Parts: sequence; C-alpha cells; structure tokens
Amino acid sequence: MQHGLLQRLRPAFVVALIIAVLSPLIAADAFWLDNSVIVAIFALMSLSAGMAYGQAGILTMATAAFASLGAFATSILTVHYGISPWLGLLAAIVLPALLAYPTARGIVRLSPMPLSIGTILLSLVLEHFVREGGSLTGGYVGLSGIPALPGFDSQFSFHLLGWALVVAVLIFYVNLTNSAIGRAVRTAKHDPLRATADGVNVANILASYFSVTAAIAGVAGWLYAHYMSYMGPDSLTMHVSLRIMLMAVIGGATTYLGPVLGAAFLTLLTLYLPAAETQGMIFGAVLILVLLVTPNGILGTNWVKLLTTRKNADRQNHRRSVA
Amino acid sequence: MYEFIEYVVRGALLGVTYGLLAFPVSLVFITTGSVDVALGAYTVLAVAVMYFVGGPLGVMLAIGAAVLAAGVVGIISMRLNRPGAVDHLIPVLGTFGLATFLESMILTNFGTAPMIRQPFDTFWNVFGIRISPQIGINVVICLLILGALYFIINRTPFGRAMRASAVNPTGASLAGIPVRRIWFSTYLLGGLMAGIAGVLILFTTGADYSTSFNLTIWGFGSAIIFGLRSPLRGFLGGLIIGVTQALCSGYLPSSFSTTVPLIFIFVVLAIGKNNQIAATGGRV
Repeated sequence: MQHGLLQRLRPAFVVALIIAVLSPLIAADAFWLDNSVIVAIFALMSLSAGMAYGQAGILTMATAAFASLGAFATSILTVHYGISPWLGLLAAIVLPALLAYPTARGIVRLSPMPLSIGTILLSLVLEHFVREGGSLTGGYVGLSGIPALPGFDSQFSFHLLGWALVVAVLIFYVNLTNSAIGRAVRTAKHDPLRATADGVNVANILASYFSVTAAIAGVAGWLYAHYMSYMGPDSLTMHVSLRIMLMAVIGGATTYLGPVLGAAFLTLLTLYLPAAETQGMIFGAVLILVLLVTPNGILGTNWVKLLTTRKNADRQNHRRSVA
Repeated sequence: MYEFIEYVVRGALLGVTYGLLAFPVSLVFITTGSVDVALGAYTVLAVAVMYFVGGPLGVMLAIGAAVLAAGVVGIISMRLNRPGAVDHLIPVLGTFGLATFLESMILTNFGTAPMIRQPFDTFWNVFGIRISPQIGINVVICLLILGALYFIINRTPFGRAMRASAVNPTGASLAGIPVRRIWFSTYLLGGLMAGIAGVLILFTTGADYSTSFNLTIWGFGSAIIFGLRSPLRGFLGGLIIGVTQALCSGYLPSSFSTTVPLIFIFVVLAIGKNNQIAATGGRV
C-alpha cells in the first residue's frame, strides 16, 4: 500500500522532533551527551537488525560483526595510512556489504533457525580474524588513537551527527520498505514459493537486503570507532549482536521506530543496573517479559486492543466465578 | 597415519558429548518446530552445581537444576509457541532470553574461575593411544542414553505420541494426544540430557560461565550438519564436529583450531540441502 510522503516520513520526523527538544536540555551535560551518542550508535545497529529480522525474517546475530568490520576498515585506513575518515566511511559501508552478499547468498535459502546459526558462525569467524589480524587490526591489543571526525570535535556535534544518521537511515528504511523491493522482500519472507512464482529471485533479493543491513551496521561501526577512538577484539562481539537483537525485538522489530526505542530503553537501563555481571539477568528477564506480554515488541503491539481484550476476558472470568 | 588415526579416535570420543547435546536440539525441533538455545546454559548450570556440591547428591542436584531450568523454558516457550503458530522464532528468542539470564546468574553466583575435576590419575593404553577412563565412561553413558531414547521414540506409545505431535499437532490433538504436555516433556528431556552432559563435561574438559554459548554452538552445529529433523543423525554430526576439531587442533596452528570447524559447519550449511526450505530447492 502506498502512503503519502509526509506519512511515510513520520518516523523520521518523530525522532528529529525528540532530538530537537532534548538537545538544548543536554547540550551542557557531558554525561547525557555521551549516553545520547551511544544510544544513537546502538539505534543504528538495532535498525540494521530490525530490518533484517522484521522485514526479511533473518534473525541475524552478525550485526556487531559487520559494525566491527566497518569500524576496523575506517580505523586501519585512518591510523595506518592517514586517510580521511570520510573515505573511511565509504569503506565502512562497502566492505560489510561486499562480505554480506556472498555469504548471505549461500545461506538465505535455509530455514530460519539454521539461517540464524549461519549468521552466528559468520560472526565468530570475523571475530577470529580480528583477533588474529596482527599489526593490521592490533590483534588482542586493538587499535587506539583513531582520529576524531574533522569538524566534529565536540560531544555535542557527535550527538547531532549520530542522530542525523539515525534520521537518514529511517528515511531510507521507510522508502525501501514502501518500494517494490521492500514488498518483494516481505513476500520472500512470508512465502518464498509465492515470491518465486511472482518472478522474484528469493536468494538474490534476501542476500541483497541483508547486505544493505550490513552496510548500515558498518556506518554504526564507523561512528563508534571515531567516537571511542579505540577498537579492540572485544569491542563489538557476538554478545553485542545478541544485545542489539534484544533491542530490536523489545522495541518492535517490524516497526520503524521500535529498534530506536529498544536501543534507548536498554542502553539507559544499563545506567541504573548495579553491576555488569547482573546485566544479563535483567536483559534476559526483560526480553522474556516483553515477549510474553507483547510478542511483537512495545511499538508492534496494538495496546488498546490488547488491554480491551484482557479487560473483557477478566470480566467474563469474574462473571463465571460469580455464577 | 598412526597420528591421523589417533586424532580421529580422540575427536570421535570428544564428539560423543556434542552428540548428546545435538540430540535434544533435534528432538525439540521435530516436536515443537522451535529450538532451545539455552541448552548450553543448562549444561554449564549442571557443571557449576556438580562442581560445588559434588558426590551422588551433586549429580542429582545438577541434573535436577538443568531439568528445572528446562521446565521454565518449556513453560515460557509454550506460552509463546502455541500449536499451529507460524513464527517459531519468537519462542527461540525467549530461549535466548533465558540463556542470557542463566549465563549471567552463573557468572554472578559462581564467578569466572574454570570448573573442572580430574577423577582419574591413570590412563588406559588402547593400541598406543592414552585415553582417560572418564572418556570411556562418557561413551558408555552416552550410548546407553541414546539407545534408550531411540527405543522410547520409535517403540513406545509416548514416542509415537511425540512423533504424531510433531507431524500434525492439530490431528494429534483431535486423536486425543495431549500435544502441549508432550511438548513440555520434550523440553524436560532436553534438560535431562543437558544435565547429564554437564556432569560428564565437568570430569572431562571442564567449563566456565562463558562456555554455555560455545556448547550451544557445537550442539547446534552437530544437529544441523545432516539436517535438524533427525536426532540420530545429529549424534553422528557431533562425532564429525569432534573429529574435525581434533584434526584441526593436530594439524593447524592453534589459533585456527576452533575457527576451521566453524567454517566447516558454515560450508556444509551453505551447500547442503538438508536445512533448506523446500520452496527454494531444499528438504524442509
């Protein structure tokens, strides 16, 4: 179904409006600016995971690996060769996409669970190459001294850049979803046979879409590397990919804003948790709770319908117990 | 050649444990259409309980803890995966949630130290290959369990009900089979096997809190090599993964010994037809 331009851009407007309201409030607060940049980086990765799972049905556990690839691409170019970070951005987009396409092409025909395991294997292999990359990746020590972006030397400018990228990705995501490609991807997800009958090359379109999501993760990795100024083998691991998927699912992976909300919710939640060891317990419990109450995530649920149905069910149970 | 045979034998013996973990992966998949990725976490939970309690009481508590955790996952998964449900990935995400919860709980309560016990000081010499008696015990226990499960699935009314629930949940339900109870039993069976695997792993390679994810990967890798739909082929997959790991450890630089088996599973997944959707030319 085609939507008007304004309606299609609504998710991007919502994020832009929230950032416009919040920015003056946190502009002088280094703590909240730092968290805002982190949320923006995770929102980009979460959008990548949400696109792969929500639209293409690929439960990817390689989002952080592709972000890591993008991050190391720009880090190596800027630290070892002194190349501009803006060219690093190009590498951070192209390299993950180039790797994702052929690997995805091989596994997108798998049923959903083996496909997910395939992405885990891909992620673990990439982690290995980062660790064993010697002086190129810094091996177990990692690469430090990654330069800041020219013209973005303050936290506030990074905050604006991060959220501008989120808005740009949202606009791209909405338009892609409403295009013929987006419809073909959704058909391929729900009914591959029907998609094939419609003339869609299922393996090609899903692999292409997956490589687009890898490129978005690469952008997140690029921003991460230049903000943190350090990339190590433990910076963006499989466990981060799992956390990113939790963000997308908790927010609502099939919606545009769900992954952004999930990223904000889980990142800010960690600020109030007692110790790093116990974070997994909280994340796991929150995920289970959300799945039990709203399997489609916070923004993927029709709350009015859900609450009305529950209220009616409670009334019926009450009547039965009285009778 | 002798060296090669030694690696193959050692790998196959190691793979027996993976096969034990692969069996419940396939069993849960063919019965419920979903998978339980928390299996590795149950195993490490059993390792931790056995390590700190010890003795026959420790064995019972370790297996009991794994079955209890599997029961919790079973309840959650059945809330998320009702018979006839289309998206089986939602309950998988639920099991991811519990796996994350358990790993964090083990880290908080038992710490990061490796947990291992070496019950034997002497080794058997089998045609010149030194083998720990514990490995022999592992093989015997695994084969006995798998034999018993094969008998239960193929020769008992419970096994027939389980297979009927897997093939056609609605039809099985109309025929009077308690499908949801059968599903729940499958999760408990998975917990039981993971618990036993945990006790055996404590006395073999040991584990720490972070091992749970690796065990899940090797269990899944074993199960999917020949297709998720056959528990016995999953056991064979375990042996192959074990042999691949042993050969890589023997002949490749140490840094590649864990990566090459992962690439091996990936390649098998990419070129095999066993896990592909029928509409795209596969068998699922």
